[in-house]
Amino acid sequence: MALDGIFNTTIRLLEKNLDLRAMNQNLISANLANAETPGYIPKRLSFEGELKDALKNRGGDTPPLTDPRHIPLNGRSAGLDRVQGTMIEAPDGSVGDDGNGVELENEMGRLAENQILYNATIQLAVKKFEGLKTAIKGSI
Amino acid sequence: MDFFTSMDISSSGMAAERTRMNLISSNIANANSTRTSAGGPYKRKDPVFSAVPATSGLKSPFERDGAMGVKKVEVAQIREDQTPPRIQYDPTHPDADEKGYVSLPNVNVIEEMVDMVSASRAYEANVTAAQAAKSMAMKTLDLLR
Repeated sequence: MALDGIFNTTIRLLEKNLDLRAMNQNLISANLANAETPGYIPKRLSFEGELKDALKNRGGDTPPLTDPRHIPLNGRSAGLDRVQGTMIEAPDGSVGDDGNGVELENEMGRLAENQILYNATIQLAVKKFEGLKTAIKGSI
Repeated sequence: MDFFTSMDISSSGMAAERTRMNLISSNIANANSTRTSAGGPYKRKDPVFSAVPATSGLKSPFERDGAMGVKKVEVAQIREDQTPPRIQYDPTHPDADEKGYVSLPNVNVIEEMVDMVSASRAYEANVTAAQAAKSMAMKTLDLLR
């Protein structure tokens, strides 16, 4: 794939990271909205380890081409595309009398963390694109 | 999969907490009401929250939200507290029974105050989540600069 030279693994990794963090944001706001719902168990998305693993095993499990018109995928990027994250459904601390497992403090902490890392990822993507632009223009 | 789902969920949380706050105000305001249209003293009211699947307006079949089980919150019903009324001896009260006892609402103002703080904090948490989703969406626009 010719374009893989420009839009390489970095962009794919940033893209996947943003996607998963946006999903995580949805889960956190759902946990906060249901902070007082009886029997609600908070959900969170764990994907950092999976992303790391996908980056590590380059090549290896490239999907086989079953049709000549298929575009071959770069092994590493293909692994990245398959990362979906694992949803963990477990109470933050002790479950109250009403069966609710949400702890506001934990959720707020996770909300802030997710937001900061999302913004950092966007910043990295912006810098990456700026670098590409500079390279294309050929002048600083 | 978008930030509007997140904002939608947070606003459902805010609406639920607002309903709760309205009921708390109503309970405190009527802490001494001995007459209601249904007859008898006022009964304490309490919302019952339930988690329902969050569905955004436009949904593509590839979206994972359904599978991920993201839930928003909804006030399923408003329940009347069936605990017995407070009984007070006051023969001069127009609503006193033949023995001189008045039935007052089963509202404990201190309990209501505690509930009010809890509702207000939960509301603020939802506002913060909505603000976070908004700032993340705005930040995404930086990619276009």
